[in-house]
Amino acid sequence: MDYKEFERLLKVCRIRLSENETEEMKKEIDEILAYFDKIDNIKCEEDPAYQPIDLPEQLREDVTEQFNDIDAILANTKTYRFYVVGPKI
Amino acid sequence: MISRSIEEFIKAQPGKEYYVKLAEELAKLNKELNAFNNINGSLSSGYPLSVKDNICVKGMETTASSKVLSGYIPPFNATAVERLSAKGFGVIGKTNMDEFGFGSFGLNSESPARNPFDKSRVAGGSSSGAAIATSIIENHVALAESTGGSIAAPASFCGVVGFTPTYGVVSRYGLIDYGNSLDKIGVMGRSAARVRYTFDIIKGRDRYDATCVDLPAGSERKQASKKLFVIRNLLEHVDESIKKSFEKTLSKLSGMGFEIEEGELKELDSAIAVYYIIAMAEASTNLAKYTGFKYGGKVDDFSKEYNEFFTEAREKFGKEAKRRVVLGTYIRSASVRDKYYYKALQIRRLIGEKISELARKGSIILPTMPMLPPKIEDAGKMNPLQAYMVDILTVPANLTGLPHVSFPADYIDGLPVGAQIIGAPYEDYAILDLVGKWEEDFSYKFAYNLGSL
Repeated sequence: MDYKEFERLLKVCRIRLSENETEEMKKEIDEILAYFDKIDNIKCEEDPAYQPIDLPEQLREDVTEQFNDIDAILANTKTYRFYVVGPKI
Repeated sequence: MISRSIEEFIKAQPGKEYYVKLAEELAKLNKELNAFNNINGSLSSGYPLSVKDNICVKGMETTASSKVLSGYIPPFNATAVERLSAKGFGVIGKTNMDEFGFGSFGLNSESPARNPFDKSRVAGGSSSGAAIATSIIENHVALAESTGGSIAAPASFCGVVGFTPTYGVVSRYGLIDYGNSLDKIGVMGRSAARVRYTFDIIKGRDRYDATCVDLPAGSERKQASKKLFVIRNLLEHVDESIKKSFEKTLSKLSGMGFEIEEGELKELDSAIAVYYIIAMAEASTNLAKYTGFKYGGKVDDFSKEYNEFFTEAREKFGKEAKRRVVLGTYIRSASVRDKYYYKALQIRRLIGEKISELARKGSIILPTMPMLPPKIEDAGKMNPLQAYMVDILTVPANLTGLPHVSFPADYIDGLPVGAQIIGAPYEDYAILDLVGKWEEDFSYKFAYNLGSL
């Protein structure tokens, strides 16, 4: 990955780093990716395992439940009257 | 009912004062628990319980040791906590961990964990506080969580029993996700019997987690497999002193009537790469929910434009979390997704088939960690890739969702050395049975025995 590409990646991730931190992390990530590249040599035609163990499909009906402790949820946010305050979109 | 100040003690760096205060707290706690158990008509209904900081406890700050979540108070209990509370377990506090579970040494948090046997050494991670609490508190069990070895590693370094169930057997409802296809809630304790007692209560289907299943009927009666396989090629990465000690463990087991056989699984040579690719891809999506206004830590200036606001929120992540967000995002990007992520999922199936095939013929036995707990400064000097390689023995079972349990098998220069048993899917009770048999003729040592009843 070249430096420009890495800077673009940081922007996509919304991660802000100083110049030194960028330099350091790029080096580490290049090294880790080079290690990951070793899986290229493995021949494998298996289906992807999205779960480690095949689990039975367990579907259920959607049921509405009442959660009454609204104050406890709102306590984790900044509120204005009964609304959660968020950034501008 | 239970004081939560122990959280602060466990997060602190152990010094003499720390133990004195902890002992006082525990004495109080034991009194409260006795009272609780008397009211409920049973003296042994529950243990004092510590809960890893990424598992939600109603009304107790839960941060996964991340600044981005500081101040977050869950309005609900995780299913595992709920089930244990109903049986008389009292939560004594939340335990320190590597931020979001990202680490094998317990150093990726504001208060780096220290080993109770030697404070200049690491406790192991990411469930570092859970292992420390188990190692120093006599009457206690810990709820912990493993993604790639976060229960086995600290359990081994701190000399306790650390059990990671089959993927999906314990509900993940109320767990702060790291990698959804890898995360397992498990238990640490001072004996296989205590772990089993706790696991009995938390296991099984939960309507709040669609990936959670029951164990097959009759699983509880499963006995230890008489045949144990050693995966020879994994031992290439193990320090000589650990290898020697492991040989001793094997000969003791064979003296107990177990049949030891060697096997080889070359497919496991890529396990670390496959594991970290999947784990980082999943972690980078899970961390996207920390936007700076919904949970915990807030961005001060709400007038900021959204992307700027979001970027500022993410500055609260530690170094390793940032690294994993960047790597995980890259791995999932359209141009390389097939090369890394998709391929890793394919190899996971291949590895899973091979290792399960072996585990069905007999359990697998390995050292838990390839080294003794390193000095904190030495662990801190490792580069990220070197640190990831330390998981070489714990990743195979975690990547493929197999149940495994680490137990103290030896002591070298006063430091505990763990061995692990890996079972086939849903053989959870069989591997716990084996550790129970081991304990009949091996006494564990603990650095402290606080709060005895």
